[in-house]
Amino acid sequence: MLKNFKIAIFPFMVFGIQQISAQGCSDAGFCSVGNPFKAANTEKKNLIEIGGVYGIGEEDVTIFSPYASYTRLFTDKFAVNARLTGTVANGSFGTRSNVGDVFVTGNYKFNPDANNLKWSGLLGVKIPLTSGNDKINNVSLPMPYQSSLGTFDIIGGLEASVKKWDFNIAAQIPLNDNKNSYLSSLSPTDKFDSTNLFHRKSDVLFRSTYSIVLLNEKLTLKPNALFIYHLGNDSYVNQFGNRVEIANSDGLTINGNLIANYKIGDNSSIETSLATPFVVREVRPDGLTRAFTFGLSFKQGF
Amino acid sequence: MNKYLLILVALFTLSCEKEGELTQKESNVSILEGAVLKYTGSFSPTSGVNASGMVKVYLDNGVYKLEIENANVSSAPDLKVYLSKSDTPTQYVNLGNFAGNGNSVYLIPSETVLANYPYVLIHCQQFNHLYAVAQLNVN
Repeated sequence: MLKNFKIAIFPFMVFGIQQISAQGCSDAGFCSVGNPFKAANTEKKNLIEIGGVYGIGEEDVTIFSPYASYTRLFTDKFAVNARLTGTVANGSFGTRSNVGDVFVTGNYKFNPDANNLKWSGLLGVKIPLTSGNDKINNVSLPMPYQSSLGTFDIIGGLEASVKKWDFNIAAQIPLNDNKNSYLSSLSPTDKFDSTNLFHRKSDVLFRSTYSIVLLNEKLTLKPNALFIYHLGNDSYVNQFGNRVEIANSDGLTINGNLIANYKIGDNSSIETSLATPFVVREVRPDGLTRAFTFGLSFKQGF
Repeated sequence: MNKYLLILVALFTLSCEKEGELTQKESNVSILEGAVLKYTGSFSPTSGVNASGMVKVYLDNGVYKLEIENANVSSAPDLKVYLSKSDTPTQYVNLGNFAGNGNSVYLIPSETVLANYPYVLIHCQQFNHLYAVAQLNVN
């Protein structure tokens, strides 16, 4: 057990402190897909979660993303989660904060009583509470400062659980362009990618998680690897009104993530997460860039 | 109890919009003495909004600049100033965010063939709604 734990923690010791410029995963509803439905005590029908994620993004923009989440277990098989996010971003433009998105997802367990392989499915929507065009003093801000991608998205996925392993596949499909108006040619700096009327392509995700239970089941460690593939190049409308494809904004991101959950009561727990990317897309205009993220949350069932 | 806590957190989160100070230095565009006035026009509003003001295009040390004088335009989110080939925002050059009522100056990109863009528009990009149109006349 101890040997397994050392193997799991090693990548974070090696890579976790490097200040690499890379894409993490701030889009909580997508990257944490399936997590809200893992209640510590399934006899409780309600679960609230309050937390926040701190990260360092593109061009040293620091981002804190608080969230509040409510999960209702309607039956042994069916549950619904609603999550509200916000963001405080700070960088060379200044500080900008706003609410972000509402995620509503439903989870259905196909065979909750199975002994070996358990399947569940997930379907949800991301509803933006801003258009992705927050400004400071009438100056348009690039995407790392935006609290929301500004798009309505559909999220769907499947999860398979075998003993201590969980495997997720999911897709996030944007339904509209956002209303961001950042053009580097009109900006005081050209360090950020132009994202005027940004069109974002879909993502697919694969995550594998291994659970290690310690300390009389009080502490659970969940090292996991998260693979995100961006299915095409994003685009924006340039200063001359022409839509321009952003070369090399497609491709693969691989994140390593370690979650530690500590039970502080029968129905409550504290959870921390540490994540960093190992493989990144060459160009990442969507503002989801993080060198690393650290998350802390409190969960209470009732 | 927990339900009330959740409601409190939600209310706190919903009330968190805050716009800080701009710490990035903006480039200040102005019309220098000796600039040559090339085109003028005046804004007309579209239906349902108020818009007035003068437009002047100067050639200033080899650089074209657009000045809006005494602008008075109904407030709206995300207003842009466009140089346009027609009186609708279909083929245009985006000169940037409308700086607000009063006087303001905008740089025209050097690659712009000014003769092809005889209109100046004030356009709400977020809701795709045109607010004001000015036709440029040779001075």
